[in-house]
Amino acid sequence: MTTNYMQNNLISLQDASDELLIQKYLNGERDAFDALYHRHLPKVYKRVRYVVPPNEVEDVTQEIFIAALKSLSSFRGDSKFGTWLRTLTNHKVAEFYRKRTRKQEPQLAPLSDAIAQVAGSTSQSLEDRIFLQRALLNLPENYQEILLLRFAEDLQFNEIAELTNQNLEATKSLFRRAVTALRNHLEK
Amino acid sequence: MTMDQRDESTQQDNELADFVDRLLDGKTPPASSTDEELVGLEKTLLRLSDTFPPETLDEAKSKQMLTRLKARMRREEEKKAAKPSFWARLFDLQANPQVGLLIAVAVVVVLVVINVPAVFQPVGSTLSGTASSGGSMYVGLGILVLLFIGYWVSRKK
Repeated sequence: MTTNYMQNNLISLQDASDELLIQKYLNGERDAFDALYHRHLPKVYKRVRYVVPPNEVEDVTQEIFIAALKSLSSFRGDSKFGTWLRTLTNHKVAEFYRKRTRKQEPQLAPLSDAIAQVAGSTSQSLEDRIFLQRALLNLPENYQEILLLRFAEDLQFNEIAELTNQNLEATKSLFRRAVTALRNHLEK
Repeated sequence: MTMDQRDESTQQDNELADFVDRLLDGKTPPASSTDEELVGLEKTLLRLSDTFPPETLDEAKSKQMLTRLKARMRREEEKKAAKPSFWARLFDLQANPQVGLLIAVAVVVVLVVINVPAVFQPVGSTLSGTASSGGSMYVGLGILVLLFIGYWVSRKK
């Protein structure tokens, strides 16, 4: 009986909208956050993976969800939860680099230092990854964002256009300019 | 920008967009046109895609991360509950005896300030509100001196 109730409840939580899950969580239904977490974790994790060193991806992802959990009560629903979480992710990534800069300038830190911290990957692929991450992070925000939306979040161009309130042509043009800028950074 | 240039630019935008769509769909994109600029951009996209191959979070890892997150939130809540508030810590006289002493001194100072007009009141004044005498002023000062001595002694310990 109880198991049936729990299963039904889980199914209803899985089908519920983000806003409803937040409301349920704020009303004391703790399981609602679990559903929200499992729904958004893959996207957040993928985005973080593109901009944070491999050994820090899990920790930064956790920090993002902890921050989300703490400030859920301030989510007013003016924008979609996914958009709100994306903004929070960007803030947390920026914060991660600010904290790191206090200890050591990341742009100047030798690649070998970052590579030495990660076991289990070939140094060449890791070096490439960190090199690309640095190039991505040095791009203007709108260029960085469109590359992440297409690659990390796997959004189609028409979805990106809708999200950024642009027409499809402008979105594709922005994408090409972003790739050009990335190539220029990589060639430096 | 001329009309022809704009058309060419739009065509490049579309070709690159098609290329990345096929690339991310897992289909091997065909070799592009002879446009050198476009070939360079496609190589950059291939490099980005090769460096970050698709990685899906398996269910076990997601659950493990959620468990860790909940454990951390619980720890933070316990820590917050165990930590007394700023005011409770401030007025913890056992841990902070000097605070109690300072409060007493402040009270006496206030009493003295209230009594100051009485000190300068000429004897036998007919003004109303002269019920207090200079005596209370000396008592206040005496208490103040005693408290100050007490404070000084406690500081030396």
